[in-house]
Amino acid sequence: MVIRPALCDDWNVQLTVLIVDDHPAFRASARTLLEDEGYEVVGEAEDGESGLRLARTLEPDLVLLDIALPDLSGLEVAERLSDAPSKVLLTSSRRPSDLGPRLRNSSALGFISKDDLSGETLEALLRERA
Amino acid sequence: MRALRLAILAGGIALGVEAYRVQIDNLGPHTTPERSWAIVIGAWLFLVAGLVAWSRRPTNRLGPLMAAAGVALLLRQLRYSHDSFLFSVFFVVGELSYWTVAQAVFAYPSGRTTDRAERALIKVGYAVTFVFTVAILVFYDGSKPLRFFDPTRRDSLINIAGHGDVAVTLQKAFVISVWGVLAAAAIVLLIRKLVRATPRARRMLAPLLIAAITVALRAVFESVFTFVQQPSNTILFDYLFWWQIGAFIALPLALLAGLLRARLARASVGDLVLELEGTPPQGIGPALARALGDRTLEVLYWLPERSRYVDTSGRAVELPKYADRAVTRLQHEGQPLAALVHDPSLLEEPKLVEAAGAAARLALENARLQAETRAQLEEVRDSRVRIVNAADEERRRIERDIHDGAQQRLVALALQLRTAQRRLRDDSDPEVDSLLAAAVGELQVAVEELRELARGVHPAILTEDGLAAALESLVSRSPFPIELDADEGRLPAPVEATAYFVACEALANVVKHSGATNAKISAQRQNGLLVVTVEDDGVGGAQTNNGSGLRGLVDRVEALGGRLRVESPTGGGTRVVGEIPCAS
Repeated sequence: MVIRPALCDDWNVQLTVLIVDDHPAFRASARTLLEDEGYEVVGEAEDGESGLRLARTLEPDLVLLDIALPDLSGLEVAERLSDAPSKVLLTSSRRPSDLGPRLRNSSALGFISKDDLSGETLEALLRERA
Repeated sequence: MRALRLAILAGGIALGVEAYRVQIDNLGPHTTPERSWAIVIGAWLFLVAGLVAWSRRPTNRLGPLMAAAGVALLLRQLRYSHDSFLFSVFFVVGELSYWTVAQAVFAYPSGRTTDRAERALIKVGYAVTFVFTVAILVFYDGSKPLRFFDPTRRDSLINIAGHGDVAVTLQKAFVISVWGVLAAAAIVLLIRKLVRATPRARRMLAPLLIAAITVALRAVFESVFTFVQQPSNTILFDYLFWWQIGAFIALPLALLAGLLRARLARASVGDLVLELEGTPPQGIGPALARALGDRTLEVLYWLPERSRYVDTSGRAVELPKYADRAVTRLQHEGQPLAALVHDPSLLEEPKLVEAAGAAARLALENARLQAETRAQLEEVRDSRVRIVNAADEERRRIERDIHDGAQQRLVALALQLRTAQRRLRDDSDPEVDSLLAAAVGELQVAVEELRELARGVHPAILTEDGLAAALESLVSRSPFPIELDADEGRLPAPVEATAYFVACEALANVVKHSGATNAKISAQRQNGLLVVTVEDDGVGGAQTNNGSGLRGLVDRVEALGGRLRVESPTGGGTRVVGEIPCAS
């Protein structure tokens, strides 16, 4: 059974996701997990610049964006995507309290710790922020 | 030499009396006893000043030059004699006396004229004056009175061409070229000398050069009268005469003042030994500066082990290589001791500097030892800062390695296990499911522990967002509410890290040992210091030397030039205050 995650009111739409993270192991695990949960992972990027480019080209519903990237900060990428149609979810293996006020002031839709990533937590966050 | 000088003095006195008599006897109503005496006294002052300078500094040519100028000025007055020999000889020789005066002025204080333009002016001055005065006498036949002379006819011994009008015209040309053009050129060169001088040299030169400029201006003024009708107003003439005399008298007086200043300087060098007794090292430089009359003087100390100069505080200093500063190296028993960096004008008084150096030697040796100790302390301090910075850098690297390495792998593993758990949920053995769930749980605990470890090593928030954000994060994890008051804005990384670890360690002690229910952390900038304070209402009794972790922080804070205080009366709470310089 495939659960149809929702970003909007249309429950039958399969959401497209772009994963931006410089750790290949995380990208691979997250892709498998999200695809199992019914998301369509349309692309992966290993740094901020290629993440921005892919986000503008693919226009995914969701960008799962790591905060610590090798070139730009994930917070900066989120800021530059604030006018894009995609919703941005920031991720990190650190806790929000370790990320300071810049996370609170970010224009991203929300934050999810990497080790908490699952279909349920994502769904709950998307519903909360819908 | 002394006998020679005495003979010159005696001769000069006699010559002065004779010069006075010649003026009174020959110029009639064109002079007065006051004027004649004033001219003689002005010349005598040159002579005396020159002889004093000669006796004080026998190797300096300035003294003989000034004495010669004095004699020449006296001889000049003999040209007013009605005797044809005296008139003919001193009409030429006497007029050269002004260039001897100019030579002495330009040669002050070294006794030598080194500037090309000044040398050229003096040579041209002597030559033009000689040629003109000889030429005037060749044409002077007594038919027309010469300017500045009484109308009585005199005979020129070299009157060959005999043409009164030509003689008068030549005298006019002489006044214009020598008293007008060359005196104006002299004024320009004197002003240039004054402007180019270093501050100390300017202070020394100013009185003499200003007097010389006044004399030269008077000469220029005189040349103006060759173009305009001479005023009949005798008051104006009186005024011009006394201007000339006043300025002429000021010249040797300025020279004497310079000599007196040098004597005073030597006297103050004598006082140095007493003055330096008990003077701290930082007082030696100012004392030498006062004694040598150079406010810009600095003392540097030679450290043989490091083969370099340091200042009083022990900081390494390069010797200046610019022309506007001069260096005198002081030695003791053949070994370098110190260097004086001073105004180049002091190079002209090497004996004075040497005497000052010798007087200050003991004090300089003590100061050098202290400077060496300070230099060592400075090095130790720098080394402590480098150790703290290197340790911080290492902590940051370890934190990054944990975050980018093990933490990421464990996170990926947790996600993979969660995926496996999900895929097996519908058709697997419940035991496998529970095993997978336990594994995911364990992994999350491991990730959390790793996160704690990385944060304790060096929190990333401190590097990325600064002290205020890091303290906010610290406070948010406390088991009880803590009041926080921290200034926003970034500070140098070592300062932020030190303040953070002080707060962190103090807060850990509050939580573990104090039994407090309230605590407060503040981090404020005050007068170039970052003051970080952690206070609680617990049991108190904390010490920095009981293995509380505060001991290491005392070292860390002191390495940055700060200090850490712990106020912890038993039963009265604890207050840990770290003050860290943060002016940079």
